[in-house]
Amino acid sequence: MKNYLPFLLITAVLSLGSCGSDKKDEAEAFLDELDEGIDTPAISEETINDILMQVPAPLEISMLMKESGSAYDRSILSNPDDVSKYNTTFKRAINLGIYGTDLIYTNIFGKNQEGIGYMKSVKELADDLNIGQFFNLRLVGRLATNNDNLDSLMLITTQNFNAINRYLQENKRANLSILFLVGGWMEAVHINCRMSIANPEVASLTERIGEQKIILENIMLLMSFYAETDASISELYEDMKKLKAAYGSIEITYTYAEPTTEIVDGILMIIDNSSSTVHITPENVIEIDSVITDIRNKLTS
Amino acid sequence: MKILKYILIIVALVLVQKEANAQCVPTESVKVCIPKLASGFHFLKSYEINGRGGRLDKVEYSYPFAKGTMYMVNLCSPEGGNKGLVVTLYDATRKQLATSVVNGQQLQAIVFNCQSTGIYYITYTFDNSTSYCGGSALGFKR
Repeated sequence: MKNYLPFLLITAVLSLGSCGSDKKDEAEAFLDELDEGIDTPAISEETINDILMQVPAPLEISMLMKESGSAYDRSILSNPDDVSKYNTTFKRAINLGIYGTDLIYTNIFGKNQEGIGYMKSVKELADDLNIGQFFNLRLVGRLATNNDNLDSLMLITTQNFNAINRYLQENKRANLSILFLVGGWMEAVHINCRMSIANPEVASLTERIGEQKIILENIMLLMSFYAETDASISELYEDMKKLKAAYGSIEITYTYAEPTTEIVDGILMIIDNSSSTVHITPENVIEIDSVITDIRNKLTS
Repeated sequence: MKILKYILIIVALVLVQKEANAQCVPTESVKVCIPKLASGFHFLKSYEINGRGGRLDKVEYSYPFAKGTMYMVNLCSPEGGNKGLVVTLYDATRKQLATSVVNGQQLQAIVFNCQSTGIYYITYTFDNSTSYCGGSALGFKR
């Protein structure tokens, strides 16, 4: 017994070192159950996380829509009351992303009461995925009652979504993170397309749709790794190939020129002298919209 | 006497473990950085900078920047301000566009007025850092 004493003590100490993570372990176990049967793809976690970090926040696209002078259109958003229909992990994760973008869209246009409906649906789906701890519905509800709190509301929403992504990635559930991000991204492109079709004279809206070709290429790369091992992602990946085909004729040209810099109040201001041009036609927008609508209808049915 | 030796080993293990955990907590620096984005910039992403005690000489992220948008990347160090941290921006072809060290002065942030859409690389390195640790926030303004 004496000989085992040091090992027992050391084991006890090392075990103590992991105290406080019980809750996390429970969450991990729950997520394990959810994802049972999904093999890890043959690609490093670091590469996956790098690509995931490249998916743009829906906030940026939504902000452009507001600034372009486009009118708010509730009819193009997903119905927050459909939340009960989403009863698989796949549907929950992808619709969490879709509702997240709709929530940000309502926030930007100051439609706070409608935003609360989306917030409730987001919270419900997040709870179902065992990531509801990232949403403080009471705080968001309080901020949503006053348009002066818009910046705080958007900050909290963006922080929450970033936290979810980080949590899923840290817990080796990047497949859910991908679905969440793809859902959010696709909804942002869907809204952008509808806004562009309604306002064809706003070139910035059309260009932004074309610029998404860069993101789509990365998303396709990411999904290709999981399509081999995850049946749900595989089906979505096949649908996304149609979207990739719709983007086929769109070109982005880049011309490099040395930037200029100056220091203002301790901050380095960099003036980009390079330029890029997006070659996209109204017909391209209609085709992309049509493909996204088909995919979205499947995801929200 | 042997028991005493084991207890000392255990205490040492506990201290080593605590020290390892206390070395770098980038999330704390990130929390400091987000509210430091300049007025008018909307928060987009936060980046953790963990140089693993000097074992990594750089930490890199990438993000798609869009034409007609200004992006701000700031730096927060546990050593105070932006001490020991450097951010360098590269375009998609890996051409260096700018770095936050100018004439030996470590600047707290960079603002990039983007005129060409594409993937950009945000690379964090260390310059006279003792913690090899920090956080950063990315914000945008149109």
